Amino acid sequence: MSISRRVFVKSGGVALFSLGMDPLFLARAALGSYKPLPPVAACCRPVLVCLFQRGAVDGLNMIVPHGDPLYYRERPRIAVPQSDVVDLDGYFGLHPRLAALKPLWDSKRLAAIHAIGSPDATRSHFDAQDYMESGTPGVKATPDGWLNRYCQHDREHQDTPFRAVAFGPELPRILAGTAPSLAIADLQAFGLRAPQAAARDRLTRAFEELYAGSATGLLSASSQEAFEAVQTLKRVDPTQYQPANGADYPRGKLGKAMLEIAQLIKANVGLQVAFADVTGWDTHVNQGATEGQLAARLAELGQTLTAFAQDLGEKLDDVVVLTMSEFGRTVRENGNSGTDHGHATAMLLLGGPVNGGRVLGAWPGLDPASRFEGRDVAVTTDFRDLFAEVLARHLGARDLSAIFPGFTPDPARFPGAIRG
Amino acid sequence: MKTRVVRFLTIVVAWPPAVGAQHAAPSTPRDSALHALNRLAYGPRPGEIERVAAGGVLRWIDAQLAPDKIDDETVAKRAREFDVLKYDRGDLARLYAEVQRARQQRKRMGDTAADKPDDSPIAMRGRRFAAQVQQLAVVRAALSERQLYEVMVDFWTNHFNVYFAKGADRFLTPDYIEHTIRPHAMGRFEDLLIATAKSPAMLFYLDNWQSIAPGAFPRSPLSALRREDQEVRRAPKGINENYARELLELHTLGVDGGYSQHDVIDVARIFTGWSIRRPQQGADFEFHDWAHDTGDKQVLGIEFERGHGMDEAIRLLKLLADHPATMHHVSRKLCQRFVNDDPPDGCVDDAVAAWQRSHGDIRDVLRAIFHGPDFWAAANIRAKVKTPLEFVVSAARAVDAEPDTTPRLAQVVARLGEPLYLHVAPDGYPEREDAWVNSGAVLDRMNAAVALAAGRLPGAVATLDSVAPVTANPVQLIAGIDGGILGGTMSENTKRVIAEQVSDITDPVQARALAVGLAIGGPEFQRQ
Repeated sequence: MSISRRVFVKSGGVALFSLGMDPLFLARAALGSYKPLPPVAACCRPVLVCLFQRGAVDGLNMIVPHGDPLYYRERPRIAVPQSDVVDLDGYFGLHPRLAALKPLWDSKRLAAIHAIGSPDATRSHFDAQDYMESGTPGVKATPDGWLNRYCQHDREHQDTPFRAVAFGPELPRILAGTAPSLAIADLQAFGLRAPQAAARDRLTRAFEELYAGSATGLLSASSQEAFEAVQTLKRVDPTQYQPANGADYPRGKLGKAMLEIAQLIKANVGLQVAFADVTGWDTHVNQGATEGQLAARLAELGQTLTAFAQDLGEKLDDVVVLTMSEFGRTVRENGNSGTDHGHATAMLLLGGPVNGGRVLGAWPGLDPASRFEGRDVAVTTDFRDLFAEVLARHLGARDLSAIFPGFTPDPARFPGAIRG
Repeated sequence: MKTRVVRFLTIVVAWPPAVGAQHAAPSTPRDSALHALNRLAYGPRPGEIERVAAGGVLRWIDAQLAPDKIDDETVAKRAREFDVLKYDRGDLARLYAEVQRARQQRKRMGDTAADKPDDSPIAMRGRRFAAQVQQLAVVRAALSERQLYEVMVDFWTNHFNVYFAKGADRFLTPDYIEHTIRPHAMGRFEDLLIATAKSPAMLFYLDNWQSIAPGAFPRSPLSALRREDQEVRRAPKGINENYARELLELHTLGVDGGYSQHDVIDVARIFTGWSIRRPQQGADFEFHDWAHDTGDKQVLGIEFERGHGMDEAIRLLKLLADHPATMHHVSRKLCQRFVNDDPPDGCVDDAVAAWQRSHGDIRDVLRAIFHGPDFWAAANIRAKVKTPLEFVVSAARAVDAEPDTTPRLAQVVARLGEPLYLHVAPDGYPEREDAWVNSGAVLDRMNAAVALAAGRLPGAVATLDSVAPVTANPVQLIAGIDGGILGGTMSENTKRVIAEQVSDITDPVQARALAVGLAIGGPEFQRQ
């Protein structure tokens, strides 16, 4: 017989044989019920969902400059043929495997921004991801991530453990820092596992006391956040969730993460900042054009975003999804029908508040003379200008220079991603 | 540097039992033994703290530094139970090709289930082998007497990371671990570096096998024909910088090692032609003279004259292995692994000095770290949080579990965030606690601890009798667990909570299992 069953028999017996309850167990039960549940957060709070495409997505094959013959000249094997591109504005178009997103573009809830990236020239995935997450290009010593710094400086939302959530087994750099944030690998399995509710509650309380009394440092803060979240989730019951409006999330980690984000948004548990990431963009070899490796990743991304928008329905009016990737890829294809590490890339914005239906950012062109170091798309928008705009105009952040130290965000440079 | 050597001598002379008072936090030989077992090994097994303390901690460390002299027949016998070791990379490549063909076949037949998990016997065998490779790492870590050696295998596996699920690496990775990493894990860094550079797994993972001088074309008409036959569009057409960049940034100099984009390109040019033969049939290393860039190159200001073919890269690897930036970068990582997430400068200096003296003999570098004052400093005792692998293996060792070939424990390691050999990016799994400690992970560790102690992990059965005898006396029970699992470091709070939890459980066997689960899932056991 397992412990939990044994514990269940013991504590499950409480209701039947209440007279036999020992004083210690009574004291524990009292302690357990004493702690007030966190209040239900107000509805309609703006939500930001950040989606990191790790590995450096090829912006040129995601948002294709099909109006530029140079694009086709530089990529004889991997360019998306003009006939396949889903045209957006006569010059740029969506990769055909993102076609599901076109209706969102047409209803002005999807925008793209091109030639965006870091002022730092690094072509190292690790450094570039680190900079994009810390929000301090060129400075490695920054201890926390910019999403966490936003949470530190805007404390009025800190009434719920679900304010900032990363979907995945590890807390990403972008959310590292002193403000509380959660990492959830699987919403349904979040918490202590035991077959019966009573045993689960008892184990939860035991570990809560262990960590409250003996843990130090990061272990202490993380466990505290965990137990608060367990309590809230008990109310939400994620096992019963059904996506709305026929939304069909693709199988796989990304679809699952976005489904769980939608679920938390709809449950009104106070989610304000969510983060998920998706790998597989480092297409050095056999990247493909209309079909192939990159096409498969884009199809998953497009279907996921479409399902997410459908599932949220009117709730999408309060939500902005922002995709990001550490850098772009070389304009010219390499010797292996792939692309090597480049500089600027493209990002997507989806949601009701988005100034949709347009490709934002100044386009530097593909002409070798205007390329970065003669080979890559040049950066015309510092990623911090976009991130700052989203924080300010969507979430209402006030102290932008504290969130991006060493940088002076200027509304005049905002790319115009959020409707005024 | 001089003062540190003097201090070091003081310690050797005065210790044990009374370690040099100014640095030494471990106040008793037992404390020292626990610290050494936590860092050089995957934690103590029942009774091991006492054994190491009685025999002398320094003597145990010296023994660990000479793994070849440690009898390890038990784990060798267990390893032979893993079928996958009986297959070489050619066999595994054929198995992989067969699975692929079957899948293509199903797709052509319009099988709508083609993207669902493939449950054919051959596909199941492929999955079982993959799981065995991961489980074997856990079994060796848990049961080997050569503990430090297994720790170093894990260290280098991450330092020279490859990704098990990338194409040919599905069948090249097992061979990479057995024949590239393991033979060199406690040898000379230079040998290890050259071995990884030549390994088919690395050549495939970082794409170098396809990197050729621009415009180069195979001279042999036969191979050219074959290439034409296959698919001309897929033939490599130029250099690929991927390996070159990671070689400098991660394997050797470090990202601040003072190289430029120009250096990266010329390193890539030097490595053109380093390729593999018939990747789909097992892939041996092969140098393709025709693909090699025949121009002069310059790396870090040093000229690499044209015309030396494959020797150019060998010369480069030797130069990199012996470069001060490499010594510093790798030493720093070792100090981070063994001493503190933020490695003390003194530790790094000691390691670099030993590296210089020994020309990169890994054992000498490690010896310098373990004998240095930082390793024993109070601030560094229990200063590190265990990685998922360290947590699971140390838990299995604490309860004397003997994991078998079923992948149960490897699955737990994966659920905690560290699926073995499956870190996509070339930087390997992180060493720092902030990568592993978060609310979800902490709960998962508690769950794993309770399951292990309750015997709910078939294939890794806990032997709790070797931790603490069954007793109705909670004070005795807790003292036994404290001594057996935590080396006497259990906090008063933990003792109180466990006592409270077991107080209403009448069956002492169940009480013991719950108490052990709480101790292993509790905060003290997460540290090392």
